[in-house]
Amino acid sequence: MWKYVKKLEYPINIQNKDLNMAKLLYAQYGGPSGEIGAAMQYLNQRVSMPDHHGVTLLTDIGTEELAHVEMIGTMIMQLIKDASVDELKKYGLENMFILHDHALFPEDPNGEPFTAVYTKTTGDWRSDLESDMAAEQRARTTYENLMKMTNDPDILGPLSFLRQREVVHYARFKELRDYYLDKYKK
Amino acid sequence: MINDNIFEPYQGFIRGNMFKNLYDQYGKIYDVKPLNEQAELLTYIDVYTFACIDLKLYLDIYEDDKEIINLYNMYSAELKKYMIEYENKYGPLTENSMFLNGDNWNWLSLFPKEV
Repeated sequence: MWKYVKKLEYPINIQNKDLNMAKLLYAQYGGPSGEIGAAMQYLNQRVSMPDHHGVTLLTDIGTEELAHVEMIGTMIMQLIKDASVDELKKYGLENMFILHDHALFPEDPNGEPFTAVYTKTTGDWRSDLESDMAAEQRARTTYENLMKMTNDPDILGPLSFLRQREVVHYARFKELRDYYLDKYKK
Repeated sequence: MINDNIFEPYQGFIRGNMFKNLYDQYGKIYDVKPLNEQAELLTYIDVYTFACIDLKLYLDIYEDDKEIINLYNMYSAELKKYMIEYENKYGPLTENSMFLNGDNWNWLSLFPKEV
């Protein structure tokens, strides 16, 4: 089971409205390398890991990804707070508006809804962990691209934190993969 | 004695990484700027929660590293201390909080984005 802690993993206090960044951040919400996808992938894979190291690491990283979903969602909500219909239209958010108003919806910046197809599980620890390593690298790249799109320190602080978490998660997945390669070598 | 490879908790927190050997700097390092007294106290909880999360991922693989286990226990004790101080002042952060069973139902406190 899970328990909620009524706080963010890293504080989000964005002072300035920025509809363009809100739209782009949807890449890390419901996009193919986004945080929802990462959480779903690891939390599904964990049950078929071969020992307690894998089950535990995937549970812990999958759980942290849920906290990252919350961070990105909070950023989007703060960035579009009080935006008028005209402003939403100006930044190409009218398609999101007609279906969801100012609410969050798991989709990417093109309005492509999150799909379970992004979630890779094979039942094979090597395939799964190498897929996870690649997922972390893709997410790192997306965060770097997002960081090139703004100069606002209120946005860059959390993005920088999230980018570094991809670096750490990648390293831990790689260590687990290497440990299994050694443990199960023929 | 703190392990040379581990950042001080706040420095690790703002970097998103407690482990110097894994740290990959990209752009500037951003301090967190709490907007009020409550947010300032919450920052201590953020810092020690993060230190525990990141050391725990390491211990998921290297469960025999006594030095990191000791560090985890130390940060976990700091976290408990700040949790008690915060929840006593501002209400419970978790459903197991010792401050959730008072005379008044206080789970409906502020959500994180409002702190």
